[in-house]
Amino acid sequence: MNLANSITIELEGRKIKVPEGLTVIESLWDTGHDVKRGVGCLSGLCGACTVVYLEKDSKKVRFGLGCQKVIEDGLIVIMLPYFPSRVAHYLLTSMDSPLQHLAEIYSELYTCNDCKACNVCPEWIDVARVMKAAKDEDYETATNHITDCIMCGLCASRCPKGIAPQHVALFIQRALVVERLFPPNLHQRLSEMESLKFEQELARVAAMGTDELESYCHTLGEA
Amino acid sequence: MYSGAMSDAIEKVNATRERRKLEQIALLPEEAAQKLLNSYHPDYRESAFRNLRVGVNCGARTTHEIADLLESFSDLDYTKIDLRPEYDTDVLVLGGGGAGATAALFAESNGARVMLATKLRLGNSNTIMAMGGMQVSVDERDSPVRHYCDTMAAGKFAGRECLVKALVNDGPQIVKWLLDIGVDFDRDAIGNLLTKKAGGISAPRLISIGDHTGLNIMKVLKDEIGMRDSIEVSEFTPAVELTTNEAGECNGAVLFDLGRKRHFVVRAKAVVLATGGSGRLHMQGFPTSNNFGATGDALVIAYRAGARLEGVDSFQYHPTGVMFPEHMVGVLVTEAIRSLGGHLLNAKGERFVNELETRDICAAAVIRECENGNGVMTRSGKGGVWLDTPLIEEISGKGVLRKRFPSLYRHLMRVKIDISKQPLLVFPTLHYQNGGILIDKNGETTVKNLFVAGEAAGGIHGRNRVMGNALLDIFVFGKRSGLAASEKRFNDPGKVTLTHVYSYYNMLKSLRISSVAKSPTLFPEFIVNKL
Ligand SMILES: Cc1cc2nc3c(=O)[nH]c(=O)nc-3n(C[C@H](O)[C@H](O)[C@H](O)COP(=O)(O)OP(=O)(O)OC[C@H]3O[C@@H](n4cnc5c(N)ncnc54)[C@H](O)[C@@H]3O)c2cc1C
Ligand code: FES
Repeated sequence: MNLANSITIELEGRKIKVPEGLTVIESLWDTGHDVKRGVGCLSGLCGACTVVYLEKDSKKVRFGLGCQKVIEDGLIVIMLPYFPSRVAHYLLTSMDSPLQHLAEIYSELYTCNDCKACNVCPEWIDVARVMKAAKDEDYETATNHITDCIMCGLCASRCPKGIAPQHVALFIQRALVVERLFPPNLHQRLSEMESLKFEQELARVAAMGTDELESYCHTLGEA
Repeated sequence: MYSGAMSDAIEKVNATRERRKLEQIALLPEEAAQKLLNSYHPDYRESAFRNLRVGVNCGARTTHEIADLLESFSDLDYTKIDLRPEYDTDVLVLGGGGAGATAALFAESNGARVMLATKLRLGNSNTIMAMGGMQVSVDERDSPVRHYCDTMAAGKFAGRECLVKALVNDGPQIVKWLLDIGVDFDRDAIGNLLTKKAGGISAPRLISIGDHTGLNIMKVLKDEIGMRDSIEVSEFTPAVELTTNEAGECNGAVLFDLGRKRHFVVRAKAVVLATGGSGRLHMQGFPTSNNFGATGDALVIAYRAGARLEGVDSFQYHPTGVMFPEHMVGVLVTEAIRSLGGHLLNAKGERFVNELETRDICAAAVIRECENGNGVMTRSGKGGVWLDTPLIEEISGKGVLRKRFPSLYRHLMRVKIDISKQPLLVFPTLHYQNGGILIDKNGETTVKNLFVAGEAAGGIHGRNRVMGNALLDIFVFGKRSGLAASEKRFNDPGKVTLTHVYSYYNMLKSLRISSVAKSPTLFPEFIVNKL
């Protein structure tokens, strides 16, 4: 292998030369680590590849995604692909107003004292703010940025109280939907389908040969 | 960070921006479009294809990459393996993406014991990567009939009527189910599901969850699976072969435990194969948008068991995959950027196609530019074209990119590329397997008790899939196959054998076919090609 453009990093506790420009995951592969547990999408979306690193001359340990973090000379890095967290057991479909049960389901939420240690999100979510809003029963604010959460669990790994913010937020997100108004347009469409409104036309169209269907499609235009 | 020749090339993009704002490029007339596809679309590149020499689809056309796998010996030393089942279950679901999770949930709710085995972690899949949204006809201007027509037309009328009909008919009901289990689709001011228009769709039909539709559905499905006592999840255990009984019906699978490095057998009354697509086979050397586990394993193991395939010579190449920075090669840049007015530009800073053409036409046009020397070269010698993202900020206002496409923005900011100020280099990326294992409307294949759902299945999308129909497909056919598979729970699965693997092996031998490929692939090779 040509290591002309290589840099030295400390990877999983071993000082080693690797070609520059690789991500942490790629440098693990490149140096013979059989990484399967800590990899999924390779696109920064699945949260399987969390890493902890210290940059050269930096005093602060940082957290990130191994498939996105590009290595630099002097980097010290290890993988942290999994951090155990409690997931509560509940059946949403059998609850009327699930948010009222938040205090039983994730009681540890109320031990949060807003220390902000959880603000290490690789997706730049202000986790502490989410937890505070949840405690204050401002659930819409709590779930505002949660659609970006990739469930990597880094926030949970930092919490001194053992809260798993990603699971708390997911429960709130799911519970809110159940409590929201059922979408009127979907309601309308479902009752139309129940009264077989489109049945005949769909059967007619589905029975058409290719040419007939093609010209039918042309007549439809934009709605 | 851009440097050297690439920075110089960006100057040309900046120089033409003002003028381009007023420029109109007409859509290609049908004949010219077909000519472009014939000359430059990878599906039309005859040298990349061959006809299968074995199996149910003998004589059918497919890519060399897939043919190599189908014409190769099993990676499993089936003479040594202990076939006594280590697990016995009613329904065995293979694959932990959206289709598999849905099948498992419906099978369980119908009273079956379920085992869900997957290659990596539950949820690591193409499903979480789906951004744009899902098609379902709920808008009052829309109807299932329109949805049917759009799907058939996009697929060049090669989709199967009964499957497309099932797809569009079940749509509204499946969205209700997703809402019931707590999936938070975007709403409008009065609480309606927010519907958007998209290329190839004749009515507003795309529903979404911000820019992370698949991720937010998958999180809920995964959470819900954890709550169901009769679903056993087995992670890091990919399927390497199906098993069959004396009558040739499917009755389980051989799984490989990645940790212990050993095989074991799960026996089941019915199997739902939901292992997704095949982007990581890097057809014709293309980059891919797919997850690490998308190696087309379903095609291989189902084909050996005698299942018929359909349309495995048709793939979707998404015109805009990242080409630089190199660690992001292949990562998808959503269509929405072009819908908002982002231009595609060659090295001269000139547009060369109407950006709202269908995916196949845009992809072919990009390939044409690069092959004719009008591409922009990266340091490692790969070519691409510019996607003018700063233009969008000029049209739609400052900050719109960060707000609408947070993950793309973040990932590039990390490597000091600010897409609100600098364009992005793109090239077509292998995105979707249009065909797959042929199913009927319950998801059953031509092999009894073997069901397939999701991207692994074929027959629905014809020769091309419209944006948003894949997500709908995985839930609709996940549900249908899960329910139908659970109906088999009182069957006698019979004896576990690998007879079909033996006969396949003999067939290859008698034809003197000896391939070096090992299959199924399970994991792509890692090749450091950046030196
Ligand atoms: C980047 C991207 C963006 C997309 N955007 C959209 C969009 O906006 N709208 C839309 O409709 N569609 C979109 N698609 C397509 C859509 O997401 C997929 O087609 C769909 O999610 C596939 O679902 P699936 O369950 O069939 O497969 P997957 O979600 O890929 O799941 C397959 C699962 O099977 C596992 N597996 C693989 N091999 C084995 C094996 N041998 N044994 C056991 N398990 C195995 C995998 O690890 C994975 O967990 C997008 C796809 C990508 C890649
Ligand atoms: S591999 Fe999925 S986030 Fe890195």
